[in-house]
Amino acid sequence: MYPRWLWQACAAPGVFWLLLLFIVPFYAVIGVAFGQLDPIFQNPIPIWNPLHWNFDNTLSILAQFVPGERYWLVFVRTTKYIFFAVAISLLIAYPVAYYISRHARRTKTILLVLLVLPFWVSYLMRMLAWVGLLSPDGLVNNFLIWSHIDTDPPNWLGGHPGTVIFALIYGYIPYMILPLVAALDRIDKSLIEASRDLGMTARQTFFRVTLPLSKMGILGGCVIITLPMFGDYYTPQIVSGSPETSMLGNQIYLYFHGGPQPDVGATLTVVLSLFLAVLMAYYLYSVARAQKDLQ
Amino acid sequence: MTEDNNHGNKTLEGVVKRLGEHGMSRRQALKAIIASGMGVAVSPLVSRVAWGATGPGGLPLARPDKPVTLPMHGDPIADGLKPESGTFTVFNYSDYLYKAVLDKFGEKYDVDVQLTTFANMDQCITKLANRDVDVDVTELTPDRITQATAGKLLQPINHSYIPNLKKNVWPQLHSPFYDRGSRYTVPYACYTTGIGWRSDKVSEDIPNMDNPWSIFWNAQDYKGYAGIINSPREAIGLAMLYRGNTDLNTEDPKVIDQALEDLQELVKVCNPKVNNTEYQTLAQGKSWLHQAWSGDALMNVWWYLPEGQTGDVIQYWTAGKGKAPIQNDVWAVPVFSKKPVLAHLWMNFILEEENAHSNFVNFTGYQPPINSINADSLIAEGTVPEHLSSAVVRPEDFGPGSIQYMTLTAEGQRMWQDAYAQFISGV
Repeated sequence: MYPRWLWQACAAPGVFWLLLLFIVPFYAVIGVAFGQLDPIFQNPIPIWNPLHWNFDNTLSILAQFVPGERYWLVFVRTTKYIFFAVAISLLIAYPVAYYISRHARRTKTILLVLLVLPFWVSYLMRMLAWVGLLSPDGLVNNFLIWSHIDTDPPNWLGGHPGTVIFALIYGYIPYMILPLVAALDRIDKSLIEASRDLGMTARQTFFRVTLPLSKMGILGGCVIITLPMFGDYYTPQIVSGSPETSMLGNQIYLYFHGGPQPDVGATLTVVLSLFLAVLMAYYLYSVARAQKDLQ
Repeated sequence: MTEDNNHGNKTLEGVVKRLGEHGMSRRQALKAIIASGMGVAVSPLVSRVAWGATGPGGLPLARPDKPVTLPMHGDPIADGLKPESGTFTVFNYSDYLYKAVLDKFGEKYDVDVQLTTFANMDQCITKLANRDVDVDVTELTPDRITQATAGKLLQPINHSYIPNLKKNVWPQLHSPFYDRGSRYTVPYACYTTGIGWRSDKVSEDIPNMDNPWSIFWNAQDYKGYAGIINSPREAIGLAMLYRGNTDLNTEDPKVIDQALEDLQELVKVCNPKVNNTEYQTLAQGKSWLHQAWSGDALMNVWWYLPEGQTGDVIQYWTAGKGKAPIQNDVWAVPVFSKKPVLAHLWMNFILEEENAHSNFVNFTGYQPPINSINADSLIAEGTVPEHLSSAVVRPEDFGPGSIQYMTLTAEGQRMWQDAYAQFISGV
């Protein structure tokens, strides 16, 4: 018999990690959002005591989150881009994950390694590679002209929402595939066999057995890519740079990156985090319900 | 006293205490708080006092027509000291200093030279103020000198170590308006803001237009290929110049709102990119029309032309003295520099004709204000193509009547930043 404290101690590194790299920094962001500014350097002076927090800024920022106002419109644009990026990622990722999990026998390991391969190159470098490919005289346009598909191809980097969505899909899709592969791998094959034995077609088996049982993988993948996409500012900046395609992350970056209002950047971060917390709460609720269903 | 007042005064005390850590007396700190416009936020007591139209720490706001002599905080180092040994650290933007010049300085004074970088001036000031970096000499922009001086981040310089300031530098910058008597700074590089374009893509004769700045608002044909400098001051300043407003340090909300409206209109006209990559994208053909700094035009021609492309396609126009911004960077010595003698020697070294020239033409593309480096000599030696003589800054471009983006009050900075944030939000 192992002592009980041993198992609790095993969680200590995780708790420490969470405290050090999430809770403390996030509390610092809150302290900045509701804090003061150094009158000379305009640096944030975080206020740690909640009793002394100043909410004047917060109210004026929240007022811009109502329909028709600046942050509302940017938020709607950001949500739209992310919705399309996540939906298309899912449509691409699911068949890939399904193939790897169900049909790629000897090549499974190689395919998984290939999926992880993009992580070896920094996200920024991968995006910059696309800048080269999509530039007016880049490979993509040269191919379109050569193949006569389009003799006057568009300037992909000229501020197109489609390019930003494409870049988001490209950048984040591996994070979607891996949880899906894991979820599909976990499905008990005897359930699928039972479904077929009971007369269901392959299509019916997929929609009534495989898909529902992979729901947690789908949700997990969506959450994993949605959260960072909401904070993303460099993807639209690199592949577009146009105000028409800027996302909420670009507003946060602007206020944090310089100037006299880091508190505005911090407040926007807190508001965005609250919204994402709602999404996370739904995810956790779904996980809990799914586990209950299995019991 | 109400609870609100109690809380406000506690916060006020906290801010005063923090300013005390920067070496300010209680009186100076209160003055700074009032000047910054923070009074309302920190204390009802202070909010009763009108916001001062002064800069950080209550110091006056320097303008080309209103020179400022900065207060002396401490004494300069004594004359004739021996240079220190060990590692000498320079604080600068990345890619804004030629490594060979740094190495040459290291060899000359037998020290290791190290470059520590910052991404922008806010980061520079923050790191200096928080003592997050251990640097011996720093690059600054003039709009931050009042702030750095008010916060006692800089030490006065001893001119006996820097004879090249008088010997080699343009007389207009011997005693610049932002630092009368050059008490804290020496100039580094200078540049104008104008328009860069590709003559093979843009059909308009920009220099001969009635209002060349209006080219951006008539750039429907260059949609996706037009760009604006990613800077609140430059972007809003462009819209002001388009309307003929040359007071680019204005804090008039009406003028700023009009500029924002014009920038929003610009998005509809040509969907401009907002970035700082114009130093290469013009040459690469990714951009045809871009608000640009004079150094960008030169860098396009020097470093980024694709094979077979001639430099004559890169054009640059600026409006001239009093009609377009002209800027210069400076060097200063942080108060905590452990090698102040070497820092002075560095300032002298970078103002040496040969070193300044090498740094300019071999790496940065940004011109030093050195007497021997002028349009005629640069064109004669083939460094600058004749058609880009407009990208060469002239000594007479500086001085009273020139336009330079300078320090704003805290409220002014907020107005400019909010307008810019609204512009880049695309709504």
